[in-house]
Amino acid sequence: MSRAKLKSLGIDLPIFPTSTVGSFPKPDYLVEARAKFAKRKIERKELEDLERQATAFWIRTQEEIGLDVLVDGEMYRGDMVAYFSELMPGFEQSGLVRSYGNRYYHKPIIVGDVRWPGPMTVGWWRYAQGLTKRPVKGMLTGPYTVMDWSFNEHYPDRRSACLALAGEIRREVEALAEAGAKIIQIDEPALSVRPEELPFAIEAMHIVTDGLPAYFIIHACYGAFDKIYSQMLKLPVDNLDLAISHSTLNLMEMFRRDPFTKDLSVGVLDVHSHEVETPDTVRARVEKAQQLLPKELLWIDPDCGLKTRTIDEAKGKLINMIDAVRRLRAEARIN
Amino acid sequence: MELLVANHSSYPRIGDGAGQQRLRRAYPQHERGEITAREFEAIQASVIQEIVQEQAGAGLDVVTDGQIRWYDPISHFAGRLAGVKINGLLRFFDTNFYIRQPVVVDRVTWKGPILVEEYRSAQAVSPKPVKVTLTGPYTLGRFSIIEGPRYHDLPELVADYTEAIMKEVEALAGAGATVIQIDEPSMLHHPGEAGLVKVALTRIGSRKGSARLLLATYFGDAAPLYEVLQGFPVDTLGFDFTYSHGLSDQIARLGSEKAIAFGLIDGRNTRMERTEEVLPRLGKALPKVKGSPSYLTSSCGLEYLPRDKAFLKLKQMAAVRAEFVGRG
Repeated sequence: MSRAKLKSLGIDLPIFPTSTVGSFPKPDYLVEARAKFAKRKIERKELEDLERQATAFWIRTQEEIGLDVLVDGEMYRGDMVAYFSELMPGFEQSGLVRSYGNRYYHKPIIVGDVRWPGPMTVGWWRYAQGLTKRPVKGMLTGPYTVMDWSFNEHYPDRRSACLALAGEIRREVEALAEAGAKIIQIDEPALSVRPEELPFAIEAMHIVTDGLPAYFIIHACYGAFDKIYSQMLKLPVDNLDLAISHSTLNLMEMFRRDPFTKDLSVGVLDVHSHEVETPDTVRARVEKAQQLLPKELLWIDPDCGLKTRTIDEAKGKLINMIDAVRRLRAEARIN
Repeated sequence: MELLVANHSSYPRIGDGAGQQRLRRAYPQHERGEITAREFEAIQASVIQEIVQEQAGAGLDVVTDGQIRWYDPISHFAGRLAGVKINGLLRFFDTNFYIRQPVVVDRVTWKGPILVEEYRSAQAVSPKPVKVTLTGPYTLGRFSIIEGPRYHDLPELVADYTEAIMKEVEALAGAGATVIQIDEPSMLHHPGEAGLVKVALTRIGSRKGSARLLLATYFGDAAPLYEVLQGFPVDTLGFDFTYSHGLSDQIARLGSEKAIAFGLIDGRNTRMERTEEVLPRLGKALPKVKGSPSYLTSSCGLEYLPRDKAFLKLKQMAAVRAEFVGRG
């Protein structure tokens, strides 16, 4: 179903298309530069030059490894919500809030009408796409997650904050599509935390994607997938990216009860583990997914962004993922 | 029908103000051996003294130690029991806060007082009564991983966590604690298992001496359980009104034999509640509450907020109470 949509957009992908969820580890020189920039020891231009250098490194690396659909690696982002909230009028940053242990962060506060400030990711998408002939995903954080990870002092309730954000985020999606992005990923890791709010999260996703000429992927962390699965099928996207390979749920039974109607990106690499999965481990996880769905519907990727791994770990994991997929493709051709 | 103003449980341990980051700096210094355990403890104690006085200064009648020494609401107590080791991070309900998950590898056993010295040291520097808070056996059980053959199901594990908390509560009451709060947020997500919590509280209540026992529920709608909870053996029922929008009407309609901890101030959002938003909800319910004293408090612990906003929330609670009393 969705493969036809991809073709209509001019994108022809092999069986088991491979991609990543978005973030890659930042090289040491960029980590140092970001720290210096925070202390106002270097100018923004110097930081941006290094962000571009790191983006080019990751585009080149993804091509060398053999991924099909590339990402810009998010070298210019710190946090996936803070990046957008720092650019969008309507937000302020709070004082420090504890996350765990001795880790603290500045949580955004919605203090007024949120507004799209003009393109926030388009320049980076253009730059990354200009470095490669392979498709690069447009990527942004979805309205439900931005709402859930922010304090709200302005809108009367969570739903109205989420829908207001959706209207502004749509403008970013429109700008990405206009720039030529054919595959756009909306990150919604908070989607499953309050199952009772899924109806308005879906309503928000309609606002973000309806009528736009792109193949849409939604990345959601695993969470309470069993409680929300049947409703998630109502999300107006082409591909659900889920970390199902570590699932202990009876997905077979869930899929039998409510047949899966989209493409499925199968997260086969554990981004929270230092261990580099072997090709055989990856293969076993793909085969598990093949028991659930026809192989034509499956995309293969890590279960989340790889930014918490070292560069060597991230590359090692992806090399083995591609190795396993190449063997599976060869077998699919024979059969 | 006395109404006191009380801190719920946790409180931000650092702030953006001058001198408010010393505990944040002390953790890595302690880990690297740059300060001794005694020096680290002195910093923790000074922060507790500071926040106890901050609460009293905001106008509160009942304060807490802010759980400043706790890593999180689950592992601090569970990790100090025999039979439990501590695993990796796990998201705490639908917050952006993470706890370390207990792994139960052998019989859970109380080895000795865990919170008593924390209570004593906080009370020693507080001009107001210090409420002791601890996470209840059902929620501890729900967040635990059972490994090995010792436990076959959740009720067995909850029974042994209950045994440990009974002993802790007895020790706390013996040390002079007058209000002991048991947090059971998990019960609202599994209302069919409320009976397990009732049995546990009956056992815990048998050791409380003259202390008052408060059951705190939050992160869910308690309204469907309201009538069941009235039969629980506690002095006070605590509710998160941010999830239970119809609860004031329910209390007004059904009344309450128990005192109520009115969690009407949102502990998870920085927006300041206006007095005129809170007063009607309080005004319709409190006159129907027979137990006393009731409390005006936040919906949950305040550590989900930045320090400056948490302090303003405390001040707003005191202002609401003053307005409520003033209107008679």
